[in-house]
Amino acid sequence: MSGDASHETMRITLKVWRQSNAEADGRIETYHVSDVSPHMSFLEMLDVVNERLLGQGKDPIAFDHDCREGICGACSLMIDGRAHGPEAETTACQLHMRHYNDGDTIHVEPWRANAFPVVRDLVVDRSAFDRIIAAGGFVSTPAGSACDANSLPIAKENAELAMDAAACIGCGACVAACPNAAAMLFTSAKVAHLSLLPQGQPERDARVIAMVDAMDDEGFGNCTNHFECMAACPKGISVENIARMNREYLRASLVSRSVE
Amino acid sequence: MLRWIGNALNSSVGKKIVMGLTGLLLVGFLVEHLHGNLKLYEGDGTGFNEYVEFLQGFGPLLVLAELGLVALFLCHIFLALRLTLENRQARKHRYAVRNNRGKESFGSVSMFATGALILGYLIKHLIDYRFADGFFDDPKGAVANTLSQPGNAVIYMIAAVVLGVHLSHGFRSAFQSIGASHPKLDAILDKAGIAVAVFFAVGFGSFPVYYLFFWSPSS
Amino acid sequence: MATTAASTALDSKCPTGPIENRWDQHRFDLKLVNPANKRKFHVLVVGTGLAGASAASTLAELGYRVSAFCIQDSPRRAHSIAAQGGINAAKNYPNDGDSIYRLFYDTVKGGDFRARESNVYRLAQVSNNIIDQCAAQGVPFAREYGGVLSNRSFGGAQVSRTFYARGQTGQQLLLGAYSSLMRMVGQKRVTMYSRREMLDVVKVDGVARGIICRNLTTGEYERFAGDAVVLCTGGYGNVFYLSTNAKACNVTAAWRAHKQGAFFANPCYTQIHPTCIPVSGSYQSKLTLMSESLRNDGRVWVPKAKGDKRRAADIPDDERDYYLERRYPSFGNLVPRDVASRAAKERCDAGYGVGATGLSVFLDFRDAIQRDGIETIRAKYGNLFQMYEKITADDPYRVPMRIYPAVHYTMGGLWVDYNLESTLPGLFVLGEANFSDHGANRLGASALMQGLADGYFVLPYTIGGHFAGRALPAVQASDPAFDSAEATARGRTDSILAVNGSRTVDAFHRELGRLMWEHCGMARNDAGLRRAHDDIRALREEFWQDVRVPGPAASFNQNLEHAGRVADFLEFAELFSADALQRTESCGGHFREESQTDEGEAQRQDDEFSFAAAWEFQGVGEPETLHKEPLEFEYVKPSQRSYK
Repeated sequence: MSGDASHETMRITLKVWRQSNAEADGRIETYHVSDVSPHMSFLEMLDVVNERLLGQGKDPIAFDHDCREGICGACSLMIDGRAHGPEAETTACQLHMRHYNDGDTIHVEPWRANAFPVVRDLVVDRSAFDRIIAAGGFVSTPAGSACDANSLPIAKENAELAMDAAACIGCGACVAACPNAAAMLFTSAKVAHLSLLPQGQPERDARVIAMVDAMDDEGFGNCTNHFECMAACPKGISVENIARMNREYLRASLVSRSVE
Repeated sequence: MLRWIGNALNSSVGKKIVMGLTGLLLVGFLVEHLHGNLKLYEGDGTGFNEYVEFLQGFGPLLVLAELGLVALFLCHIFLALRLTLENRQARKHRYAVRNNRGKESFGSVSMFATGALILGYLIKHLIDYRFADGFFDDPKGAVANTLSQPGNAVIYMIAAVVLGVHLSHGFRSAFQSIGASHPKLDAILDKAGIAVAVFFAVGFGSFPVYYLFFWSPSS
Repeated sequence: MATTAASTALDSKCPTGPIENRWDQHRFDLKLVNPANKRKFHVLVVGTGLAGASAASTLAELGYRVSAFCIQDSPRRAHSIAAQGGINAAKNYPNDGDSIYRLFYDTVKGGDFRARESNVYRLAQVSNNIIDQCAAQGVPFAREYGGVLSNRSFGGAQVSRTFYARGQTGQQLLLGAYSSLMRMVGQKRVTMYSRREMLDVVKVDGVARGIICRNLTTGEYERFAGDAVVLCTGGYGNVFYLSTNAKACNVTAAWRAHKQGAFFANPCYTQIHPTCIPVSGSYQSKLTLMSESLRNDGRVWVPKAKGDKRRAADIPDDERDYYLERRYPSFGNLVPRDVASRAAKERCDAGYGVGATGLSVFLDFRDAIQRDGIETIRAKYGNLFQMYEKITADDPYRVPMRIYPAVHYTMGGLWVDYNLESTLPGLFVLGEANFSDHGANRLGASALMQGLADGYFVLPYTIGGHFAGRALPAVQASDPAFDSAEATARGRTDSILAVNGSRTVDAFHRELGRLMWEHCGMARNDAGLRRAHDDIRALREEFWQDVRVPGPAASFNQNLEHAGRVADFLEFAELFSADALQRTESCGGHFREESQTDEGEAQRQDDEFSFAAAWEFQGVGEPETLHKEPLEFEYVKPSQRSYK
């Protein structure tokens, strides 16, 4: 079936956010693209547009991308008002044009959140996520200090739950999709991952307080439990992690002696 | 030494926990309020009059409870204002096109609006009864008098529906906010949230319907 | 093209004596840096993948001042993140006969006897520490119900020594290293510079003392002075344009260091992975790998008739050619990566390929599903089938997958000694960017092991020898050496912008990739390599006359970044072809058509080619000088591989 489809091409109208730098005013520009193969990924379609723009001596559309196999978390496109586009659990780099029809118009915008300022066009600055991790998203275990890996048995169920949370690729779709631009799913995924494991226990209280503080300092919104983040997450990370973080935070605030 | 309280209340997670807790306590108030109101159906409303009398018998304790309730409301409202303003600020540049993925609901996106409507209604409600002249002389008569007027009845019906919409998100959401989540619990809460919303909307909505359509002064 | 062979001794600094004592003895012999003095030394770590993040965090934990640089917007996105299968270690938890010596033995043999025994033994030794370290960081490795770590056999290994975290082992290991790195960043013991591309190494008195970076956000050039430079900048698979590498993977940092005096070793050693999703059209931007575990149950075949365009289901069994089973009856579909890859190419080149392009072969699960049931197959490969369907829109439960080989990993890299130091003093090279441990072919689940071994457990010791053993007078970024290095970097960018020709960067990169794949890919021969050499040179000249890169230079300009990388690939590709040309034997991932057995299998020439080829730069377009580091095998005696 795919053999036939490769001969079909589509015409697509793109409406893309263009902004030359962080300070500049942006605008939406329209591009008409013909010869779109249904087998192209969304990013390959943008490549084709860019090749054409370059041929015309114009500035190509800037967008973040790297692995193009859905794991690095670099791609960050709001496609028709949905983070990473219409498919569930799919990053923009794994979205294929066969999900569109000839003649479709597609809006492409960058992630929008004050904590993610636009760098250029569709590229945003997500360093806020790094700072949240730097505040406490780790186990303090200098190289060389580890005990034998099997000396800490971990219930398979907890290991699986930790892995579910650890699957986060840090793309920021949760923030982009949240009506409040909150970063709770991202932050809670790391808090949950480490709080589920024995290795994470020594710093459990300090970690959740520090990470929530760091998150708040970055200017993200507050979670009001719309759960759009979970639906937008390309790795299907559950809002159960958010509840877990709320619980951890409550516990740390009330019980911990190290939290003043 | 108590800095942790301030910190906790100012953090995004702390605010959300307090929002959830105050919300759940207010639901508790609604339970008792509806329980009292249902006495309007008891013996032509004489049960209601007795209930009001019973409450009045608490004297200063009742005032204390009322003040507590006011504090709960103010806390809930203050946090709602803060959250809403902060959340608007968090995305100054809005999307030209935005679509959801079906997780956000009419209830979840309208929390501030439904909350504001409920607040407006609450003020009218207090003026109608709590602060109305002569209410405590004949509470059931005052209710009948108010709700048999079509204009008032419609407002009360709308308010009951708005409350239901608010609770359709708020009840479920409060459990999430205080960290009460587990696949076993969540499956129940998803349904319970809707059930609670319908329960209170029907419960409170029944009074204006009853007084407008089924009640006559002679009976 | 004449390459001048020289006999200059390369000092590998490998210790001697019993192999199991060498690393211990070497660590004892290395000079130590006093704890209070460590903060006086500033280390520049370029790249934040497994090797870079582990090195940067560990050096900072030891007390060194560290600056780390990455090309992505966050250190968490380095391409190590895409590794799927797992990481090897000689833990012997399954009690199935594994040992440090066996892991060492398998790795030397798997590398087709073109790696250093001392290095490989050390790698096997520290492999166990890596698992401990990662588990302690909270890496959620797969577990058994009793709570202990789970292992599986990978890539045809006879023992189960591979640790894994679902199909995302690379991601989880990288996030572990990243979390340690960010901990050091939070404590201000590492300064992190993201969206930076290293454009040159700065030498002062013959020692690497700094780097020049381009800030990819602003386009500004930045200078960083330090006491050592550590390159952890990955492999150069993207010289083929299409590979399983991420788009930003490049040779620029390594190549610029090479131009400053770091020898480049074995550039022709490329690993081609047999089970990738085939190219679907001319717009193809990268290739996606699927775990080779698929070959445990899938059967590889093509139609017996040339150009048979029927649907797979319509081709009866007696008209199918299960060519791996036919050619290799004992290993069948489980022959090593290089053998499976070449066999697929051979069938497609002969006109038996399937799919619209004719450049793919079937990987069929029909029989496995009939035998084990669809649920068993779903449990084993569900996520891979899903990924395949997402990309191709074909359902592998109903129609066979189509696969084709793709460039996956490069074993070659900057030459380093036992201390991981290159021939440019003060420049250390870790992970895929160096050449050291895999020889001519890398075993599955060994790349992650090597990157983390270098960063957590090798460099932190050996770099001390550099600080304690060398006089390192203070150097400022205002030193004239930085002026000239920055001017060179700027000049190169400016001249790219000044060409103002008619072809795009991507067009040149694609053409280079096509040349490389055609002549320097899975099978190479003298005529093809000579032709490639000339064509690459012509393409490079055309690039400098006709490339079109719109400005401005001083801003975020992804096309300009790409142009710089392609310009370097065009220079590097020439060395690649020269290296492949001089190695007239077949070994590991390098199959030289002139050197095969009577049965058409790879034939090593140990008498002539038991050496690592380290190339010394002589100027763009000039033949490089070849230095040979002889390889001696005291423990694992070379033998010819056979999979019949």
